[in-house]
Amino acid sequence: MDDQLTALTTIFTEFYYWMTVVLMFLIHVGFCMYEVGASRYKHHQHTLMKNTLLIPLVTVTWFFFGWWIYWAFPTGPGIAPSIMTESTGLVLGGGFGANELANPTNALMAVNLGDHIMGVFWAAFLLFSWTAASIVSGAVIERITTFAFGIMAIAIGSVFWSIDASWGWHFDGWMLKILGYHDAYASGVIHAICGGFALGILAVLGPRIGKFSSSGEPRNIGPRNPWLVCIGLFLIYTGFWGFYAACNIPIFDLGPEYGMEGVTYFTATNIYVTPTTLSGITMNFLLSLAGGLLAGYWISKGDPFWTYSGGLAGIIAASAGNDLYHPMQSLIIAGVGTAIAYKLHYWVERTFKIDDAVGAVAVHGYAGVVGLVICGFVLWGYPSSGYGVGSMWVGTDYAPINPLGMIIGAIIMFGVLGFLPGWILAKILHGMGKLRIPRDVELAGLDYNIMEQAQKDERAVASSNR
Amino acid sequence: MATVTNWIDHLSASEVAGQVYPMVGSEMWWVLAGIIFWLAFTVSTANGEAEEQEKLARKRHGANDYKNNIAEW
Repeated sequence: MDDQLTALTTIFTEFYYWMTVVLMFLIHVGFCMYEVGASRYKHHQHTLMKNTLLIPLVTVTWFFFGWWIYWAFPTGPGIAPSIMTESTGLVLGGGFGANELANPTNALMAVNLGDHIMGVFWAAFLLFSWTAASIVSGAVIERITTFAFGIMAIAIGSVFWSIDASWGWHFDGWMLKILGYHDAYASGVIHAICGGFALGILAVLGPRIGKFSSSGEPRNIGPRNPWLVCIGLFLIYTGFWGFYAACNIPIFDLGPEYGMEGVTYFTATNIYVTPTTLSGITMNFLLSLAGGLLAGYWISKGDPFWTYSGGLAGIIAASAGNDLYHPMQSLIIAGVGTAIAYKLHYWVERTFKIDDAVGAVAVHGYAGVVGLVICGFVLWGYPSSGYGVGSMWVGTDYAPINPLGMIIGAIIMFGVLGFLPGWILAKILHGMGKLRIPRDVELAGLDYNIMEQAQKDERAVASSNR
Repeated sequence: MATVTNWIDHLSASEVAGQVYPMVGSEMWWVLAGIIFWLAFTVSTANGEAEEQEKLARKRHGANDYKNNIAEW
């Protein structure tokens, strides 16, 4: 960097993403608190360890192949042509278009004086990956083996969400070109897919012992510590600020980027490199939080667990279009999404005997799907990209945002890349006898041995003091 | 071992080399070492978990037995 403007924008962007990573770390702290608060005393420590272990497991696999997948498959491969050509200066080399960029042996995947962005961008996406795995983690507490959860965490955190991000959350993604898919703050690419994935696992894993009566009526289990759950959700909200920030490019000159000769237009953009403002999305974030909290409180008759979860569901429902919505649109969409997610949660629980311990499928999955569908109607006609405008299905250019494309997108996210892989992997692990802990261990408590040893230690210390 | 031995020489070169980490060129071996570490962890902890749970299951504790083990310190 030898001129001041380049240095300023580059170092600002580097620091901006670095800060988002720090903020997003709070999402994981929140998820850990939330899960421990929702689990019963005899499972606390294993619940915490399960969610903690996803940090190293997803991190190493994200370095090995998760990040590579994101850059390798925007075109499918083979579904729509790439805009990353020599003339745009976006050719990054390698087989499927850009895979050399994120190859773990690439020179940019380390301290490199010639690059200030790769590492922080990699890390921001990694924190999304942790979130993806953590969403699934809460739904399956108290009965999944740590081994099986580790496999699932890697599958959703470093493979399937990375594929969906490549397809629908990348400026070159085929879903933008063919379908007109738009999902600025990840209603689908993080939340719907993870809700679907969790549902697929739950369908095979089965409910916790005692969750349903012999006549099939669901019983309420916990949360054991509602205050820990509420503080956990507050921290997730806080981390969500970082998440929203990380979904943007903070400063970008769109003039030369779009090929407009002589035009200079510096702005923040979303992940698709279309313009938005951090100021506007801040309003939308807060109004969607408000809409979710109001709807959650209203529909659950003041239940704290669902009021807090409603706040999260509200943000998730409005996220697909929060780069463009009016704040009042965010508020209403959040309220509608939260109400539908709440109703669906109890309907699915009763009808299919699905035991989703923390309501993750509802808050992330159903709210995410509702958000995508509504976005298709409210943003109908907007361009899905600034690089060009074309027709739906053609694929050589970018289709406009439309309801059908968004509904198909929601099915791809929740069903094809979420539910199906979760269900298949769970079936395989179940077949190997590795999915669920033994019944006697579930009854005794996963922490039984740790607690027994702690009590022996306590007695030994007490007797030595006599 | 060191890729850079003098920062002034390094940064005043006509073309500044970006890679400054030690042992440039050996990236593949480091990645392989990381993969082996990850796989060894997975196999070892999976076996350990299964063994521990089988032992606990054989004791057939009741659903409330853990309450006798709650330490108070």
